Amino acid sequence: MQLAIIGAGQAACTLIAELVRGNFEGHITVFNGEGITPYQRPPLSKTPIENSLSPERNQLLPPQVLTDPRITWINMPVDTLDPDTGEVTAGNTTQDFDHLVIATGTRAIRPSIPGLADEDLQVMRTWTDRLKLAAATHNARHVSLIGAGFMAFELAASLCHPDREIRILARGPRALPQTSAETASWLIKHSAASVLTHCSVEGFEASTQTLQTNQGSIPTDCIIATVGSTPNVELLTPHGLADADGITVDALMQTPHPRVSAIGEVCRHHHPSLDRTVRIESISEANDTATVLAKRLLGQPMAFHAVPWFWSDQGTQKLQIAGLANRDDEAEILTADDTRQVVLRHQDGHITAVEAVNAATEFMAARRLFERGDIRLQAVRKVGSVMAVLQSSRS
Amino acid sequence: MPHVLFVDPNEAEIEAPFTAGDTLLHAAQHAGVDGILAECGGGCSCATCHVILNPSWDGQIESPSAQETDMLTFAIEPTPHSRLACQVILRDAHDGLRVQVAKRQY
Repeated sequence: MQLAIIGAGQAACTLIAELVRGNFEGHITVFNGEGITPYQRPPLSKTPIENSLSPERNQLLPPQVLTDPRITWINMPVDTLDPDTGEVTAGNTTQDFDHLVIATGTRAIRPSIPGLADEDLQVMRTWTDRLKLAAATHNARHVSLIGAGFMAFELAASLCHPDREIRILARGPRALPQTSAETASWLIKHSAASVLTHCSVEGFEASTQTLQTNQGSIPTDCIIATVGSTPNVELLTPHGLADADGITVDALMQTPHPRVSAIGEVCRHHHPSLDRTVRIESISEANDTATVLAKRLLGQPMAFHAVPWFWSDQGTQKLQIAGLANRDDEAEILTADDTRQVVLRHQDGHITAVEAVNAATEFMAARRLFERGDIRLQAVRKVGSVMAVLQSSRS
Repeated sequence: MPHVLFVDPNEAEIEAPFTAGDTLLHAAQHAGVDGILAECGGGCSCATCHVILNPSWDGQIESPSAQETDMLTFAIEPTPHSRLACQVILRDAHDGLRVQVAKRQY
């Protein structure tokens, strides 16, 4: 089989590693549009900006996989593809494939800010972004992060410096809407940044180095947009296989077209553990979808069944989330002291997510319990710890 | 160059060179050691880079943090010498360290 993998991020690399490990009988061609040896992305936002990272020290694949003779690496973005014929065109080369895997991931949204040249707007998604941000923040005294999600708080911690003022601008009523208000409060309290809510950006005034907002002028010599990302679906949109929120696939990562599969952050599928169809951006999603596809390509199909999990390092604070709550799910603090906090998200008596700050055992216990099925709110309330529920279920 | 000797789940031995400051995970990945998943890429968030240090090195390697100890309770059959490879920082003095990769990460 001639297999084309478009993209070389976490999902693509997990797929490649699993296919190599499973002695895949075919040839793999990887289109790596970024042109950099595949690297780990989490450290880009989570590592202090003054610490130099290098792609070589953060490689996603071991050397023997990178040099495996069954794999051809093409350091070029794909221009067009044709699912019906399997034709992929990159630059002036066109090749035919038996199967196409779309692992193109997402890209940072770049809002347009009047008065600010696009090249002066920082984002964080790629190796190049990190290098640009390191240069742009080298002497920066007033950093404004537009958008108040995990990325903003990770970068605020990574940019923390005694001579630097960092602001996070939230358009809505509060920061970190992905978590409960209780978890958000904890993280805001421990963040180096100050948070402004209901704040909308109107423009940038270069002569005074100020960001114009509905709440007045904010001194700013570095602007970082952390307003989220958008899936890279352009190759499939013309073929009716994608919309603005991604590529829909089944439980085996197959699109409606028999020749095309999609994995990672670009795909949207039904999550049995959540009982809904969503597109998720996380390492676990990249790895789990890639593993499902690898098994299918190796002739041992197994439907997607994993439970999503997330983590965010924000300086000394470590947030870990097992499961995925709906935004309107209830929230209650299970335990909290000076160093840690655990929040339960729930709906109709069932736990939908466990948000743990500096509480790894509660996070891991929740993952294990979710993998087996349901976690009842009453059971956890009764014993006051997710770990205790896990232990009692083992005995 | 100093090196670590990994023993993978199939008992194959792999010499992994390192530079002081590298993590044990980095050395293992660079040498292509089998059996380490490291799903979170070295963030102490998944407990799938479980290794067991040779007991003769007791006291010569910095102790695990509370976070790592918590995560290790979820490794498969942890021992008193278990570590998460992503959290062990190597120094030149660790030349010759012998490390068993856990039989299973799940």
